[in-house]
Amino acid sequence: MNLHFSAEDIAFRAQARDWLHEHVPRERRPHAGPAARAYDLAWQALQHGAGWAGISWPKEYGGLGLSLTRQLIWHEEYARADAPDHHLCFVALNHAGPTIMANGTEAQKQYHLSRILKGEVIWCQGFSEPNAGSDLGSLRTRARVDGDHLVVSGSKIWTSHGHLSDWQELLVRTDASAAKHKGISWVICDMQSPGLTLRPIEIMTSPNQTHFVQCFYDDVRIPLANVVGDLNDGWNVAMSTLAFERGTAQIRDQIRYAYLVEDMIAKATARLGNDCPLSRDEIGARLADLRADMAAARAMTYMVVSRADAGMRGSETSLMRAMVGETQQRARRLALDILGPYALENPEEDDWVYFYLRSFSITIAAGTAQIQRNIIGERVLGLPR
Amino acid sequence: MNLLPTAEQSEIVDSLKSFLSARAPVSRLRPPAPQTGNSDHRLFRDLGDLGIWGCGLPEAVGGVGLSAAEESLIYRELGRHLLSPAIFALTLGAHLLSQLDETLRSSFIDGSARVGIANPRGRVSLAARSNGDVHLFDCAEAEWVLISDESGIALFRRDDFAEIQPVRSMDNLVTLHRARLVDARPSFWTAARDLHERALLLLSAFAVGIAEATRDMAVEYAKIREQFGRPIGSFQAIKHICADMAIRCEAAVCQTAFASLVLAEGRDGLAFHTTSSKLVAAASAVKNASQNIQVHGAIGFTAEADPHLFLKRAHVIEQLWSDSRRCRERLLSLDLPE
Repeated sequence: MNLHFSAEDIAFRAQARDWLHEHVPRERRPHAGPAARAYDLAWQALQHGAGWAGISWPKEYGGLGLSLTRQLIWHEEYARADAPDHHLCFVALNHAGPTIMANGTEAQKQYHLSRILKGEVIWCQGFSEPNAGSDLGSLRTRARVDGDHLVVSGSKIWTSHGHLSDWQELLVRTDASAAKHKGISWVICDMQSPGLTLRPIEIMTSPNQTHFVQCFYDDVRIPLANVVGDLNDGWNVAMSTLAFERGTAQIRDQIRYAYLVEDMIAKATARLGNDCPLSRDEIGARLADLRADMAAARAMTYMVVSRADAGMRGSETSLMRAMVGETQQRARRLALDILGPYALENPEEDDWVYFYLRSFSITIAAGTAQIQRNIIGERVLGLPR
Repeated sequence: MNLLPTAEQSEIVDSLKSFLSARAPVSRLRPPAPQTGNSDHRLFRDLGDLGIWGCGLPEAVGGVGLSAAEESLIYRELGRHLLSPAIFALTLGAHLLSQLDETLRSSFIDGSARVGIANPRGRVSLAARSNGDVHLFDCAEAEWVLISDESGIALFRRDDFAEIQPVRSMDNLVTLHRARLVDARPSFWTAARDLHERALLLLSAFAVGIAEATRDMAVEYAKIREQFGRPIGSFQAIKHICADMAIRCEAAVCQTAFASLVLAEGRDGLAFHTTSSKLVAAASAVKNASQNIQVHGAIGFTAEADPHLFLKRAHVIEQLWSDSRRCRERLLSLDLPE
């Protein structure tokens, strides 16, 4: 057990810190729309131009191939510099890219990987369906082989930023007679394909903000060359890279939220004024608990990285994810109580109200809090299914 | 950076585990054992032979030369086995005496000193003349009594306390007295802040042990207890309680490990991290011990089964040397370390 970083790692930290402090965009990130797309791609391109793109990507695919410790350092500095998150670039960098690296053909790698790193393309995910959410394996969007193409029909839903994306990682059922998790294929879908229509879905944060789309596939033709991995092996292809980041990027949120709690303490102190010291107020007690839980969440992330570094692969990461998600939600909720009556105003520039509403997705996306608990119960604690 | 124990650290834990499972299983506390107080002091010499009490002291003063990291791994195991809270006096007393009275120090390190601990009831001032109301834990036959608070750590003789009155203890396996310090002069006293932080750390580690032991008990019971023709652990209502217990353990384990390294390596933010540990770990211990009773159902409510022992001890730990209310207050007054 130790908290040491090597001299080389410390030097790397200084280098990362310097570059980030100088180059992090100062303009506010637009929450949605084409302006958000342009912002995210420009930031990715800037990092690529300076040689900082793909820190977790292997060198052979144009990444930096950093050790887990260096990735952790990069993410810590990234958060301290208040750099914008990957947002629209997230699926490409952390899921589609790594999946193509691990399972793709030479042609697929050649075409897609550098475009992702350079910040030229946005990818979205086409996994969930109206009747396949937590139970993803029961997905029903069908694809039949017709010559050298797949012909897709069905629907995907909760596709974040689908309307702003160039490509989609799409799971389709290519063998209806196979068992639930067999007979699925992972394919690259061009979002401009004829027969693909999108229905915007606004989210609860504010009116008129399209975040999701529902995708309808009406005999959409996708070249068989776009199948990643083997036909009918899509479930394994999708699962193989779900843990690609291995938790290091989580440290960004841990640091950001620790800063948020500091801002909340300052605002709460100002709001209570001299009438009541924070430490005597119920809000103060909740802030103190948050400070402690944020510290624990960060230590849990260090533990996740320690385990990954030691080659331990297990479901223990779910412990951290569950704790972090719910602590973040609690922070957002408390921020609202600190605002008091002003929480009922929701001006565009007020992040506390916006992110409070946004925080409801934390315990739903990428595996609900309840699914996390099933995983913990069954795979970590060995309880019967 | 690595929060996992090294091979050497795991070896220390394993040898302590095998000692404790042979000599101090939780079943030692069940009837026919007397149901008031405990006789754990009989184990202290043998634990001293294992190097438990002097673990974090330099070899030059008779210790083992390890750090707070190993101490907290040790206290986690002692917590799992519900050892008498007098143990805190041995480790912390040895630290307090590290540069003082060699004969007395070695009796703390080898576990032969008869010790107990005191906890403030309200405000206590620890100084050359100390005043305030306290509780004494497992001090019935103690010669030395250790007390810790934010002003320092002090070692008194039991005779230094006035108005010692036995009271019934909620945790019936601990003896409890009310007592009072009236212009009492500690035999040894330090205002060095690190010792209080070490006290909070050891309490956190003990609490981690309680949180883990109760998680394990609940999980094991959920695997074997059947209702409606299935093990109750297959029902999400129970499974998710167990998962919550595991999440709490992980938070407490990781924060306590982190705080132990901040102390061991002399890093900034010690008080912030030990106070966070105490808050997180004590809450985990109390909550897990409570839910363990719920998972056990009616048997969990009886004195025949062990769950109540862990709950009661968790409340003792939560109160000791900064209850959660004080920890919150203190945490708000500290700067966020990098």
